[in-house]
Amino acid sequence: MTALYGFYVLIWPALTLAVLVVICRAVLRDHRKAKEERRELV
Amino acid sequence: MNSELYQFSTLTVVLLLLAFYGGTYLLTLSIRKKKEDADAFMVSNHRVGFGMGAASMTATWIWAASFYAAATSGYTYGVSGPIHYGLWGALMILFIYPFGRRFRALAPNAHTLGELIHARHGSSSQLILALSNVLGSVISLMVNFTAAGALVAVLSPLSFQAGVIIAGAGVLFYTLWSGFRASVLTDFAQLVALMAIAIVIIPAVFFAMGGPSELVAGMGNLTAEQTNFFSMDAILNQGAPFFVAVLAYAIGNQTISQRLFAVNEAHIKPTFLTATVGYGAIVIGLGMIGLMALTLGVQPIDGNMNNLIPQMVSSYLPPLFIGLFFILVIGSLSSTADSDLSALSAIMMADVYGKNLARGKADPRRMLLVGRLTMIVATVVGIIFASFSLDILVMLVFVGALWGAIVFPVIASCFWNRVTNQAFTTSVLVAMVLFCAARFELLPLTGGSGLFFELLASVGGGVIIGLMVFGFLGRTAGFIAAAIALVAMLIFATGFLRDYTVLLASLTAYGASTVVCVVMSLISRQPDFDFATIGERVGDYDATEPSESYGETVPGAAKLAPQR
Repeated sequence: MTALYGFYVLIWPALTLAVLVVICRAVLRDHRKAKEERRELV
Repeated sequence: MNSELYQFSTLTVVLLLLAFYGGTYLLTLSIRKKKEDADAFMVSNHRVGFGMGAASMTATWIWAASFYAAATSGYTYGVSGPIHYGLWGALMILFIYPFGRRFRALAPNAHTLGELIHARHGSSSQLILALSNVLGSVISLMVNFTAAGALVAVLSPLSFQAGVIIAGAGVLFYTLWSGFRASVLTDFAQLVALMAIAIVIIPAVFFAMGGPSELVAGMGNLTAEQTNFFSMDAILNQGAPFFVAVLAYAIGNQTISQRLFAVNEAHIKPTFLTATVGYGAIVIGLGMIGLMALTLGVQPIDGNMNNLIPQMVSSYLPPLFIGLFFILVIGSLSSTADSDLSALSAIMMADVYGKNLARGKADPRRMLLVGRLTMIVATVVGIIFASFSLDILVMLVFVGALWGAIVFPVIASCFWNRVTNQAFTTSVLVAMVLFCAARFELLPLTGGSGLFFELLASVGGGVIIGLMVFGFLGRTAGFIAAAIALVAMLIFATGFLRDYTVLLASLTAYGASTVVCVVMSLISRQPDFDFATIGERVGDYDATEPSESYGETVPGAAKLAPQR
């Protein structure tokens, strides 16, 4: 039960970290593409 | 456990706020144009990438109340509490995207959902939708400014009003010039800070309080319902009302539609899926701090549940973390407030000025003026409402009902070519009247009238489930799911739902608007609507094209097909 509750609490910051990495990588890609196409990011 | 919250000095809080709003403003200078155009002010270039779009969607949907309410849910309902707050909030983002793709396909260059409805039906339906959007955004602004005032008052010697004014002025300061573009860019920066802080704070509090073993040891402090992951108490009181609101919040909120029309069309699905997971993870994670407080037997200071997270952070972590928590809340409320300002300005620019006052001859420069004036007025209104701590409960009740009442007419109007303007408008008005009759018990909820409302509510339940399934699996599956849900509701809700007035009234709004809209559309003799005409009627305002006869350039709006 201890491990299960530990997992239950800590899975959410871990998921948050995963989403943060996905978003940051995507923004970097967006930035590069916008630069190539000589347009603004937003 | 501390009985008092940590206090910053006035100078520290002012410096923190200055650094946050000053830094955000400096960020917006990087996208500032000498001459902003009206379309970019409302939806950027319709090509916002996946990363920026997902970040903006997530940051916008997370407001200050998300943390407090998730923690309160964890503290009140125990193990399943944070899930019953965060999961349904996340699904509001998820369930709108299949419909969003349809909205975007019908009107690729729209700025608001109201413009699409205007092209489909005309002014009365559009203005009903616009009104519900405006009310929702004004309430949201007020709640966010109130949260800023409360946070500043609790953690520093500064007054509540000072916090409200600083937050209002700060948000307006960086959003006023570039509008939606500033909102999206700063959302990304704010979300990165917000996520980084959440990633650190949740495990930090967890291990500082003793980790998993202490959590398990503290389970003895919980009731049987609170330790049950499938607690009926949590489902009926927290989960079910949120579930009913899933589609209503998504349709009624212009901040979502604005992003639907701004994101690159090919990236709508990954953008909304990522935002769903991001929102759920952050909000449920912070809600776990409420569960931790419950297992430790913590009593919220002054009985105020909003003190739970700051209290836990104050008790177990050094002052640096309280500073981070402060930035977390200010970042979340500012990202939502700037989106509300952008949403309100787009509604006034496109729905009110563009479609109703200028009638297809909108001047983009005047539109920008309208947008910026709207932001200033909305900020002042938000600050005044927040400063006087006005009771918004009644307003919230009506807005919630209005959002529920428009869900079916809006979605049906985009898929079914027989829905008429009269059916749309009448169905929403009838639904509102019946909602009030049930919500305020103007008619007795017993005998025949009680049964009447339960029947309508059962239809409402069927409609909600049917639309959700329809969005992902198509028409046949949607009809089957709606029929099953309707039968289940008729069996289980009859004679029972009348005791839960709020739920009964909300479902009545869905059911009544659906029945009236369908019946009126079926008996109408109007010719079937041609959806292809929507794209011709909704377009950009700034795009200039050579005039065929004179070789001059004319505003894009002047070339749009005439409105109904």
